Amino acid sequence: MSLTDNVAIPRKTMVLFFVVDTSGSMEGSKIGAVNSAIEEVIPELKNLSDANADAQIKIAVLEFSSGARWLTPNGPVEAENYVWRDIDASGVTDLGDACLKLNEKLSTKGFMQEATGSFAPAIFLMSDGAPTDDYKTGLDKLKQNAWFKKAIKVSVAIGDDADSGVLSEFTGSSESVVTVHNVATLKKMIKFVSVRASEVSSKNANVGSTEGGDSKQSAFIDELNNFKVETAASADAGGGDEWA
Amino acid sequence: MSELQSGRVIKTQSGKDVKVLDKLGEGGQGIVYKVDYGGKQMALKWYFRHKLKNPGKFYENIKNNIAHGRPTEAFLWPEDITEWVDNTFGYIMPLRPREYGDFSKYLLAKEKFKNGRTLVNAALNIVDGFTALHRAGFNYQDLNDGNFFVNFDTGDVLICDNDNVMGHGHNSGIAGKPRYMAPEIVRGEKTPDKQTDRYSLAVVLFLLLFVNHPLEGRATNPACMTEEHEKKYYGTEPIFIFDPDNTSNSPIRGIHQNAMVKWPIFPQYIREAFVNAFSNEQLHGKNPRILDSDWLKLLIRLRGEIIACGCGREIFIDPTQPVTCRNCGKQIAIPAHLRVKKFNVPVYPTVKLFSCHTVDCNDDFKTPTAEVIVSKNNPGSMGIRNLSDTTWYVSGADGKSVPKGRDEVVKVASGLKIDFGDNLVAEIIGN
Ligand SMILES: Nc1ncnc2c1ncn2[C@@H]1O[C@H](COP(=O)(O)OP(=O)(O)OP(=O)(O)O)[C@@H](O)[C@H]1O
Ligand SMILES: [Zn+2]
Repeated sequence: MSLTDNVAIPRKTMVLFFVVDTSGSMEGSKIGAVNSAIEEVIPELKNLSDANADAQIKIAVLEFSSGARWLTPNGPVEAENYVWRDIDASGVTDLGDACLKLNEKLSTKGFMQEATGSFAPAIFLMSDGAPTDDYKTGLDKLKQNAWFKKAIKVSVAIGDDADSGVLSEFTGSSESVVTVHNVATLKKMIKFVSVRASEVSSKNANVGSTEGGDSKQSAFIDELNNFKVETAASADAGGGDEWA
Repeated sequence: MSELQSGRVIKTQSGKDVKVLDKLGEGGQGIVYKVDYGGKQMALKWYFRHKLKNPGKFYENIKNNIAHGRPTEAFLWPEDITEWVDNTFGYIMPLRPREYGDFSKYLLAKEKFKNGRTLVNAALNIVDGFTALHRAGFNYQDLNDGNFFVNFDTGDVLICDNDNVMGHGHNSGIAGKPRYMAPEIVRGEKTPDKQTDRYSLAVVLFLLLFVNHPLEGRATNPACMTEEHEKKYYGTEPIFIFDPDNTSNSPIRGIHQNAMVKWPIFPQYIREAFVNAFSNEQLHGKNPRILDSDWLKLLIRLRGEIIACGCGREIFIDPTQPVTCRNCGKQIAIPAHLRVKKFNVPVYPTVKLFSCHTVDCNDDFKTPTAEVIVSKNNPGSMGIRNLSDTTWYVSGADGKSVPKGRDEVVKVASGLKIDFGDNLVAEIIGN
């Protein structure tokens, strides 16, 4: 090896999990907004990963309707190589099954088997309804999962039919649930959450702050709260069709 | 969140207009835009609203730094600051020239130095930047790989993100990346100062030369990196990966590959310096840390001891010893070395001397003052050409003293003495 030849420095992996409700009620502008927002945010995640010597960002996608399915069955994919394929909506809202599937892969035997280790993941749940299966059993199990406990968890409730109580149970607090009512806000939220949750999660911890050492989850909630305030003003003005 | 649309015009403190052109990138605290600033293209760092803990104080600090002026031209220093707009603001700095790339891309092996000398040049330039900043009475608060832009063909370095730079004794309250922070800061015992900066400097130099983190080895590679782990590995229980007394955190083959391969190649004095910088005592806050000026001496020596074998491979050599190439196995003929100050400089084609070698009490490693050349007619014969405006006086066994001015060449012979002026005398010693 010459003095100037190197291989890339080992970096941690940070997986961003999209957990997307694809039940029948999502059909139309909701799933359309989800599809286009995620597609548009992927290049930003790629940029975030590209020059980041601390962490590589990977993406995993789980959809749930009648049952849950991984769209990344072979494990998380590097943001650089991820190609989003539009998803369709039909069926019921089996959130419980999604929790079980997520729990299964949140393991060093599942999706978290990087040789150089991982940062705790960011888990992003989007739903517009209430669970139709026995979600409790699944969620209780998931809540025991060590990766899940450490993860940044955030959820977007799409329209007023979304069960924000259940979503709060999933994320651990009502503060990390945002309700949106139109396409523009939903897209904005998806982009904001994907990028900022990945950033917060993939950067090393903020330690040594004189203002108290906040965990990544609470640091992220702070950002989310600010963002909610900022978007509130512009959100419901001219955001396209409104969802009840 | 507080994004600026292109075309937006904002007023600055000095009464100028800045017009937003393009977004250049995004960091933890804000977005950097290319802007038109009174007809000149500059960069604007625009802060996210709500992101700064004490924006008023931060604003005042940047204003002070603008008034103070940049320590050297290696700093992409704030030159103007905007007025407050919707509870936030930004500052103007020079754009990064095209020839400069990201240090983080170097760490990811997406950028490569032209050769070993440019690599060590970059190390020297980084030390130089630290020295200049400290001399100006500032220290870093949040140093990391995002602070450096590097010209990989020359080793020139630009230092950016100077908004977090503060006068001694002040603390921005900014939480940094623990990978770069002195352990006593990670432990919450201290706030940033000159001593903690020196620790960060050692980390950056180690990353530059060995392309692995000095504290990341087998004991610090958990499946899930939690905040507790980070505090432990970089704060309460840090262990150097090449700690001679504690091998529990040694590098893992296949993961910390760069350090494993490079560590044995580097000369002993460089390895010793890092063993000292990351010794258990230093990691637990013992001061003083290695001085900038000591790093300079070590790195000037290191740069002078790199030569290229005929096969093309660059190697570190001991100029006083016979040299065998690590690549092709051939003996490399180095007829002599020049002993000056505490340096032994190999007399070998393309080797240069700088003011730090030929001028007394001088640490300028950038201005070349001499170079080794090969005789056109007789490839076995070498000379040292004077590139400076100072006349040298060369004396041999006969005691006669011969002047050599700019562009004149001293024919190399063992035993010759060169007086560079001010009683700084070098001796050519045959190998
Ligand atoms: N003067 C400049 N000219 C051109 N590009 C710049 C300049 N300063 C910063 N950038 C680019 O803008 C992006 C963001 O810079 P910034 O300094 O905000 O990032 P960062 O180091 O991640 O910051 P932070 O420490 O605030 O998290 C980076 O990709 C950087 O390459
Ligand atoms: Zn060779």
